[in-house]
Amino acid sequence: MISDSIPNASIPMASSNPKEFVKKKRANRVAKLKQYKLDARREQWLSQVKNKGCCKEEFVVSEATHGPPSVHLENESGRPTEKLEIKPGGKEDNFEDGLLIHHYSDSESSPLNSPTSRISSILGSNDSVTNFTGSSSSSRSSSSGSMSEEDDGGCLDDWEAMADALSATDHKQHEHNLKSGSNSPPPGQHVNGAQSESQSEITNRTVSRTASSKPKPGSGVRVVQKAPVNSWAWRPDDACRPQSLPNLSKQYSFPLNPERHVGSRGSVCGCKNVVPVPTSCPICYEDLDVTDSSFLPCLCGFRLCLFCHKRILEENGRCPGCRKQYENVPVEGEATSDGGSLTFRVARSCSMITRS
Amino acid sequence: MATINNNHHQDNSTNTAAAGPGVTPSKKPLPTVKTVDTHSVLKRLQSELMALMMSGDSGISAFPEEDNIFQWKGTITGSKDTVFEGTEYKLSLSFPSDYPFKPPKVKFETSCFHPNFDMHGNICLDILQDKWSSAYDVRTILLSIQSLLGEPNTSSPLNTQAASLWGNQEEYRKMVEKLYKPSG
Repeated sequence: MISDSIPNASIPMASSNPKEFVKKKRANRVAKLKQYKLDARREQWLSQVKNKGCCKEEFVVSEATHGPPSVHLENESGRPTEKLEIKPGGKEDNFEDGLLIHHYSDSESSPLNSPTSRISSILGSNDSVTNFTGSSSSSRSSSSGSMSEEDDGGCLDDWEAMADALSATDHKQHEHNLKSGSNSPPPGQHVNGAQSESQSEITNRTVSRTASSKPKPGSGVRVVQKAPVNSWAWRPDDACRPQSLPNLSKQYSFPLNPERHVGSRGSVCGCKNVVPVPTSCPICYEDLDVTDSSFLPCLCGFRLCLFCHKRILEENGRCPGCRKQYENVPVEGEATSDGGSLTFRVARSCSMITRS
Repeated sequence: MATINNNHHQDNSTNTAAAGPGVTPSKKPLPTVKTVDTHSVLKRLQSELMALMMSGDSGISAFPEEDNIFQWKGTITGSKDTVFEGTEYKLSLSFPSDYPFKPPKVKFETSCFHPNFDMHGNICLDILQDKWSSAYDVRTILLSIQSLLGEPNTSSPLNTQAASLWGNQEEYRKMVEKLYKPSG
């Protein structure tokens, strides 16, 4: 579904330079790759924004200036938003809805108030309502839809800059929290922001990790209480929490070591060990960006950039870290396949913990 | 992110620009898809060279030939307490254009009397063939060959004479010394 609209969607992005624009048109594959990556990052960003109530409101307000359809959207998002406790599956679906809406408007290059986007957003909300009866999750999907429409109306750099700004504020918040609450920092805040942390913070984090890895139910509850916005899909100590979901102690094992780790060759043999996040792709040695560094295509923990991952999928499709076949093809959206949704849930729930 | 995109973008546009719109349709579509932009291979090889030089691994070294970074010369010295102690072997590494997704071709230039190397310098090592992973690099290749020197797999030998002699380490050592011809 996504790849269909890619060539159309990627053209406006390069329009800054006319020469590049012409080249770009020819380089269809690059455009696909780029769009693939952009999509992934957009999705990440959307999930970040979802967990930031304030940002969402800003977007809705700005959306309201665009005309009648936005009124509809605003009404939708004006609904109570306590449906944050929806199932993870529901989040995935909502997500897909948001993406679908976006691609409708993308491929048809329709204006913001086109009937298509409006209808599709209605459809999206209908879907989510039927999926989760009783939970008013429709406002979530429509609000994310309105955001992506907004993006398409403006320039694409906007959301990227926004995403950067978001992560920057998160880092600040994170540091601030470390200073103020250094006695008992909630473990969740240590999950993300691994790239720019000093050594002392690392040790700090390790301590809290060992503390939280004990199966003490009290610690889990404390985390929940700390969160101002309750965005937990499942509580860590939930009895009916699916086994397939990664647990907290697993999550902490991912972004542990922010040090530059060019090769990460140790992962070839020791797959099950804690694999630090490299700052550059071990395959092409290009720097990993935000999307790449939260991209975990294989359960063995071997990370690589999206370009190389796509490239490997075109060939034998085996993880360079453990030689196992990649279980999923996340090009078409991670929500569809098991392995992909699992890994992306990890990334997403990491960001939730930090940002809530 | 911007840099990555730019790199990939530029490389591909040069590739496709050469193949431009006026090019005959006889141009096979498959290689176009498979072609890796040489820039990323260059970047990878340059980074590997840097990492290799900074790593300071003892007993292995490698450096590109004059002006071709796709063609390297490497050296491996025999590890201590093996029959190859004190010997040094030159190798040639030839990187394909789709490296690291395909392994480099590695051959001994100094002949080495070893169960898993033949006298033409061919190496029987799984990670250089079907067990290759793009996570491997020159350093891991050279280290693997170095450890293979001291721990040969005598069950599937390329050099049967060496394999049968391996059990007698004293005789083997003599044979190694006898056949060792360090190249200048």
